[in-house]
Amino acid sequence: MERAVADQLEALHPDAFGWALHCCAGDHARAEDVLQNAYLKLAQERASHDGRSSFKTWWFGVIRFTAHEEFRRQRYRESLVGKLLALFVEEHHPAPSRQVEKDERNAELRRCLAQLPARQAEVLHLVFYQDLTIQEAASVMRVSLGSARQHYERGKARLRSLLQIQSAHEPAAR
Amino acid sequence: MNPPPDDDLRAIFAHQRRCDHEDAPAWRDELLRAPMKQSSHARRWIPVALATACIVFAALFFTHSPPTEPKLSEVLPPLFDSPPAELFASLEPSFTTFEAPSDFLLPTHLNIHIP
Repeated sequence: MERAVADQLEALHPDAFGWALHCCAGDHARAEDVLQNAYLKLAQERASHDGRSSFKTWWFGVIRFTAHEEFRRQRYRESLVGKLLALFVEEHHPAPSRQVEKDERNAELRRCLAQLPARQAEVLHLVFYQDLTIQEAASVMRVSLGSARQHYERGKARLRSLLQIQSAHEPAAR
Repeated sequence: MNPPPDDDLRAIFAHQRRCDHEDAPAWRDELLRAPMKQSSHARRWIPVALATACIVFAALFFTHSPPTEPKLSEVLPPLFDSPPAELFASLEPSFTTFEAPSDFLLPTHLNIHIP
């Protein structure tokens, strides 16, 4: 692999982990697996940047796709057929562990994002967390710009109302 | 009227970003090195090997026909070993010329003559 690409990946690594974490609904162990599998795709040259979009946009698209693959694999493992097959094929799959969110504010944001439709949560994360433009977010999510804008506006309004509800509930809970 | 600024959301996400960066696993150059997975490489050939075995088996099954069986007429014992001749030729002539004593009671036109 070219040194320039490796350097880009290293620079993007923390943000890539943040994106993988979002794609895995805050599950640290799964996010690490997804990111590692995405790196493996690059190492085995199963994915390569063709220059049609920015490197970050392309790389985040790969991570998103890998997370979806991992999600489908997990759903299959949890299905009846998967469980039956696991009886015959002894494969070690560690149980998904969820790292406890250290920061309450952080956990609250994740809870609110989990209540939004997936596309809305994705576009908000990409724009506010990853500092992408809506156009770039649309490219990562593989939707049209108009659709991404709509998700963005609706998501913002819904997230604000959810955060207000959460903060209104908090003093009562304490 | 200006739309509400998004600074509130940006601040929340920026905080989350800082927290995530602290928890992110350290970067390692090994992440970009493809592991030598002998077992998975070998597993990739299993379907090809199975398909080849099936083809070979099918080819053997269809090309290797069973040994030719002898004709039925040769295997069965001969039923009529005598040469063809006139039917009932072996019967005694008295059987064909036999006349019962009550034949005279039959009307003449009903007399049946056996050839």
